[in-house]
Amino acid sequence: MERRTFVKLLSSTPLAPALASGAEAAEIPRYRTVTSHRPAVVPGMPGPYPGTVISVKSARSLSPDGLKVDGEVVREMMERGMRSLTGANRTVDAWKQFFNRDDVVGIKVNAGGRPWVVSTPEIVVECVRNLMAIGIRPEQIYIFERFEDQMDEINYAQYLPPAAAGVNIFSAERANQRYSNANYDPSVYVEADFFGEDDTRSNMITLISRKLTKIINIPNMKDHGATGVTGCLKNIAYGGFSNVARTHYRGTSHTLSFVGTLAAVEPIRSRTVLQIMDGLRGVWHAGPFASTLKYVFFPRTIMFGTDPVAIDRLLIDIIDEERKRQGAISIWDRNEKTLDFMNGKKRDDDPNVNIIIREPGHVEFAAKLGLGVADITKISLREIEL
Amino acid sequence: MRWGIILLLLSGLSILPGAKAGLNETLPTSVETGGGPLIYWTGGVSTVEEVRKAGVVELAVPAAEVAAWQKSGLRIHGVGETDLANHRPVAVPKLAGRGNVASATRRPWIDANGWVFTKYPAGKFIYDELPAGKSGLAAAEAYAYGVNALLKVAREDLEMAARTINDLRRLPVARLPIVADFTVVDNNSPQIDEVLNLLTRRNLLYRIVPAPVASYPINIRLGTKEYPEADAADPSAFAQTIRVKIGDENRSLRVYGSEIIIARLTGDGARGRVHLLNYSGRQAEGLRIRVRGNYRSGTLAALGFGKENLEETLVTKGVYEGTIPKMGTYAVIDLR
Repeated sequence: MERRTFVKLLSSTPLAPALASGAEAAEIPRYRTVTSHRPAVVPGMPGPYPGTVISVKSARSLSPDGLKVDGEVVREMMERGMRSLTGANRTVDAWKQFFNRDDVVGIKVNAGGRPWVVSTPEIVVECVRNLMAIGIRPEQIYIFERFEDQMDEINYAQYLPPAAAGVNIFSAERANQRYSNANYDPSVYVEADFFGEDDTRSNMITLISRKLTKIINIPNMKDHGATGVTGCLKNIAYGGFSNVARTHYRGTSHTLSFVGTLAAVEPIRSRTVLQIMDGLRGVWHAGPFASTLKYVFFPRTIMFGTDPVAIDRLLIDIIDEERKRQGAISIWDRNEKTLDFMNGKKRDDDPNVNIIIREPGHVEFAAKLGLGVADITKISLREIEL
Repeated sequence: MRWGIILLLLSGLSILPGAKAGLNETLPTSVETGGGPLIYWTGGVSTVEEVRKAGVVELAVPAAEVAAWQKSGLRIHGVGETDLANHRPVAVPKLAGRGNVASATRRPWIDANGWVFTKYPAGKFIYDELPAGKSGLAAAEAYAYGVNALLKVAREDLEMAARTINDLRRLPVARLPIVADFTVVDNNSPQIDEVLNLLTRRNLLYRIVPAPVASYPINIRLGTKEYPEADAADPSAFAQTIRVKIGDENRSLRVYGSEIIIARLTGDGARGRVHLLNYSGRQAEGLRIRVRGNYRSGTLAALGFGKENLEETLVTKGVYEGTIPKMGTYAVIDLR
């Protein structure tokens, strides 16, 4: 097979953030990106609304204890958010700005925070409903994530209305144990050696590179032990490629540069056209997991945009402020005294313990790759309360 | 209760979805294949039907029992006590949990024998008391390195062992020289064995030599200024240093999609053969290989999955890449 290959080399450390004290960020590895896909005229990230974020909050979106979702309120939040983002008078016209009836659309959910903090099924269903409203058939829609066992626990299919029968539920691997590389594209990958691992390639999910024409990204508001926060960028980057957990090991994280590097690879960058940050519930510590409610909080908010960097920049403050409110160390804390990299249980028990030095600077790094706006003074935030 | 079965393996065999050897199928003998698997059975001739039912076609037995087995219709080889004692014991091949040992990466530990086979290519080996489920991998491991090895397998593994041996024998024989990216001078130092083990584990292709060879860009001789013995105290770090020196782009063989595959490459410039050993105990899917060389096509035979072409092949100047859709314990790729 002959193909055109575009190779981009990123070396040295010009984008490493200045660090005040504590553990220094690891040197940026040498990346080799291989893809034959060209960028769209207007790549989906940052898309037509760089630096713009619509935040819709409703106290009624969840029950008082936060455990039950009100689907009708979520629908209203979605409609208001999409219309406000696009300026359209009708919701259907808002969706038409991003999709047409010929598109094959992937909905990238986040299932890692099961059971409490995952892409809320009611939000996913609203996406499906609106896509169908503009003429996209259920068979052209894929709800996807990397790991089947996580998806099985949520079982999105049970939430879909009968009219949506035919929507595809797709997982790239059976579980997070590297059982299979079969659903990853051997011709689209980023190669890097982080810790001397043998397998130095992270390949894009083939569904993304060969089938989907558009992607809706639905991350959650979550803390992350390696990246600081896991929002739009990490959900589409680490959720769209294989072999990514290798970037953080024994206290050191290369997520600073790798998250943005992956998100910038074509065609994922061009095809991810809509960001819907699910902040009905959030995780302020021990993320990205949420097996208990211990560190779950309830922002009751959904954010809309096309700029993943801008949304994630706001997410950093949301998570850090909640941590501050809870008396926990900042996600920016680089004090090695907080580090106990072999002790996940201690991290789970104590919000002042890190297992890895977090790298929230990955958001700024992504901005420098052209994926969006990280400068808080240049982000236009429109807040709506229902 | 364990019955002793010993399989004597050789080089160069074949793979089809593992059926038992049919009555009308004549597999090459161990003599014809230049070494080859023999089954050494200490259960006695009274178990001949069990042995036949398992698909065994060639068998080694204690020398004293040879006469009793001659009427079995099987190909029988006697192994005397002295001969048996001359077989070097090797480890049970497996994924090994070593939680108390710090590792440099997430890479799991593997108990493998490739380095021993490379160091003693003309040696005789014995897999002693293989637990159930390990005979297939042991047979494939010895086959991949082209050595004679005796396998003492669990009774419940008899059929698996026979099937594996038969499948391996169906492979076309390809006696090709090993491909190496560097040499290691065997100075018989205590550290050298573990260095060889880790180099093999990392799929770093080496040739063991008595003295440095000028045609290789890297010659490792422990105890020299360039490679002090102290550096080999951490063989994993040492292997990584060698890897960096070679440069991944320059390596003759790379494997992507798993950290639990050990590969071996042989070739003569026109032909190449890649052996892939899967120590994970489970099926591997979508494994990708990258081989340096002017190869245009590759034929895959994966034990239990039959013969097929590699998928998603990519031929660029001096590099051949391809994907193995599925493989179990062992796969071999013939390149031309």
